[in-house]
Amino acid sequence: MKDFFWASGHLGWGIFSLAVFTVLWWLLADLVWRLKNVRISRLAIMMSAGWILGAGLIVLGSCLGSS
Amino acid sequence: MVLTLQILVLMTLAAAGVAWLRAFPYPSPLVRRFLTARKRWPERQIRGWLKTGRFHSGFLTYFYRDPERIAPPGDGVLASADGLITSADVQDGTRYLVIALSFWDMHVQRSPLAGRIVSVEAQGQDFMDGEGREFAFLREKPCPVQKRLVIETRAGQLAVRLITSLAARRIETWVKEGDQVRRGERIGRILLGSTVVMELPAAAALRIGVGDTVRAGETVVAEMGTPA
Repeated sequence: MKDFFWASGHLGWGIFSLAVFTVLWWLLADLVWRLKNVRISRLAIMMSAGWILGAGLIVLGSCLGSS
Repeated sequence: MVLTLQILVLMTLAAAGVAWLRAFPYPSPLVRRFLTARKRWPERQIRGWLKTGRFHSGFLTYFYRDPERIAPPGDGVLASADGLITSADVQDGTRYLVIALSFWDMHVQRSPLAGRIVSVEAQGQDFMDGEGREFAFLREKPCPVQKRLVIETRAGQLAVRLITSLAARRIETWVKEGDQVRRGERIGRILLGSTVVMELPAAAALRIGVGDTVRAGETVVAEMGTPA
């Protein structure tokens, strides 16, 4: 887990992936919100669930990779 | 080396975030291209530009588009403008077909039939707001700024009124008295404007109804029997 934040002179791939994923997911949520006529509460729940799943996979992958 | 690349990627994403934040609540430049015109430039944003007089260049390019239109075969009366039919009332033997143009409609007007331009008159001294479309029926009402083009056709005389709104600024007409026009030919343009009224004989058989969307030079709105 130590490699998650910092590894061999650069940002850990875990935190880096999480940052990239979060921003791209945010922009995607914005696009979906504008394209689809969906209630904001419903969209927020769906996108939050997607983010938790994606972030979880990144953290899991990072933990498995460093073990 | 890896750290530098990571920082570059993060800075790019940060720039995307700033662009999103600066444009909010309107679409950021990053997602604009994926949206339909109506969502790319929401009405509230356009009304804001009208107040400041500064428009997004992409919107102006879109607004001034002038695509080719292919008139359908036959001699049906073509719509003069893109937009929504909001009224088709008859008054004093004339059917007034009102076409309301939105900000996202193509704003070039076309001749409904082939014929000769009898007159191009400018009328009105002031601007009319969008709510006052019923004024279009009142021939002598000085309120709307408008240009009325009368066209002599084989099926009789008809007229096209180009009417501005408070939001609009100018009307361009590209034909003059005595010119021959083809069916569906370009006759003018309302700049940031709002309403086109077609004046047809009351006997003309309508092919569309209130609430229909029509396209200039392509949608047949009525049939006018050719006099023997």
